[in-house]
Amino acid sequence: MSAPRKLSNPHEIPTRRILISDPSDLPLDYGTTPGGTIFSTTPGGTRIIYDRAFLMQMRNSPHAKTPPRNLPKIPGVTSPADAEQTAKRNQVNGENNHDKPHDADEPQFEMDI
Amino acid sequence: MASAEPAKQPQESPLEAAAVKTEEEKDEAAGAAAAKLDTDDLKYIKHPLQNRWALWFFKNDKTKTWAANLRCVSTFDTVEDFWALYNHIQVASRLQSGCDYSLFKDGVEPMWEDAFNKTGGRWLINIQKQQRHSDLDRFWLETLLCLIGEAFEEDSDEVCGAVINVRGKGDKIAIWTHDCKNSDAVIRIGRKFKERLNLPPKFVIGYQAHTDTMSKSGSTTKNRFSV
Repeated sequence: MSAPRKLSNPHEIPTRRILISDPSDLPLDYGTTPGGTIFSTTPGGTRIIYDRAFLMQMRNSPHAKTPPRNLPKIPGVTSPADAEQTAKRNQVNGENNHDKPHDADEPQFEMDI
Repeated sequence: MASAEPAKQPQESPLEAAAVKTEEEKDEAAGAAAAKLDTDDLKYIKHPLQNRWALWFFKNDKTKTWAANLRCVSTFDTVEDFWALYNHIQVASRLQSGCDYSLFKDGVEPMWEDAFNKTGGRWLINIQKQQRHSDLDRFWLETLLCLIGEAFEEDSDEVCGAVINVRGKGDKIAIWTHDCKNSDAVIRIGRKFKERLNLPPKFVIGYQAHTDTMSKSGSTTKNRFSV
C-alpha cells in the first residue's frame, strides 16, 4: 500500500519590498500579473482597451509633442505644401484647440487655511 | 496671579503649534511623493496598444499606378506614438481631393486583394460636401480612436482597418472588416461605429462586401447589412 499522505507545512508566498526612488527603478512589467492581464485590460481577457476620454487625454503627452522618427517628407501631409498651406494649417490647429483636454485637476489657486 | 497668566499661554502654544506642523509636514511630504510618481509615470511609460497599426497615404497621380501612389507614412503601437503621428500630419479635410488616409493593422495592406481583407467588406459613411468642415476630421479621428482603443472589444479581431477618401463629389469614411459572412460581428461593429460617431438613428449606414463592390455593374453596390 502507499505510504500515508503527509502534508507539507504551509509557507507564505515570498514577496519583497523595493523602494522606488526613481521611475527608472520600476520594472517594465510592474503593472502585470505573470502570464495574465495588464492594467488596462478587460476582465477575463487580455485585450488592451482604451476609452475615448483616456485617449483624448493623452493627446498632449510630452511624447506626442515631437513627430515620430523617420517620418517621410510628403508635401501637404507631413510637411507644408507651401507657405499658404502652413498658415491655413496653423489656423486649423488653432480652431482645434478647444477640444483639447483642460487640466481639470489643476487648482486655479492655492489657499492657505 | 495676574502676571502668571500671560506667562502660561506662550508655554502652551508653541507645543501645540509644533505638533500640528509635524502632522502637516508628514501629509505634505507623502502627497508630494505620490504626485511626483504620477507625473513621472505619465512622462516615462508609454501606453501599449493591443495592435501595431500602420498609417498609409494615397495620392491620386494618374501618371503612376495605383500601388505606386500608396505610401506607408508610419507605424505605431502605443497611445503616445499614435498622437505623435496624428499631431504632425495634415488633417484629412486639408488634403487634396483624390487623396486617402488608411489605418490598417500592421501587415495588412489597405487594398481588397490583401489576404486578410478579400473575404470582407466595409461599413461605409458617405459624408455630404457641406459636412467636410464641420464633421469630416471629427468623424475620422473618432474612427481612429475606435480602432486603436479596440472599441469593438472581442469583435475587434474582425477589424482590418479604416479608410478615408477625400473627394470633391463627397468624402467617405469606412471601417473594413475581415469576413462579410460573420454577420453577428459585422452588425455589432456597425452599431458601435454609428454610436461612436453619434449619428442620428434615421441616418442609415450600409455594409458592402468587397466582392460586390468589385463586380458592381452600376454606380451603387448593394448593402449586405444596414444599421
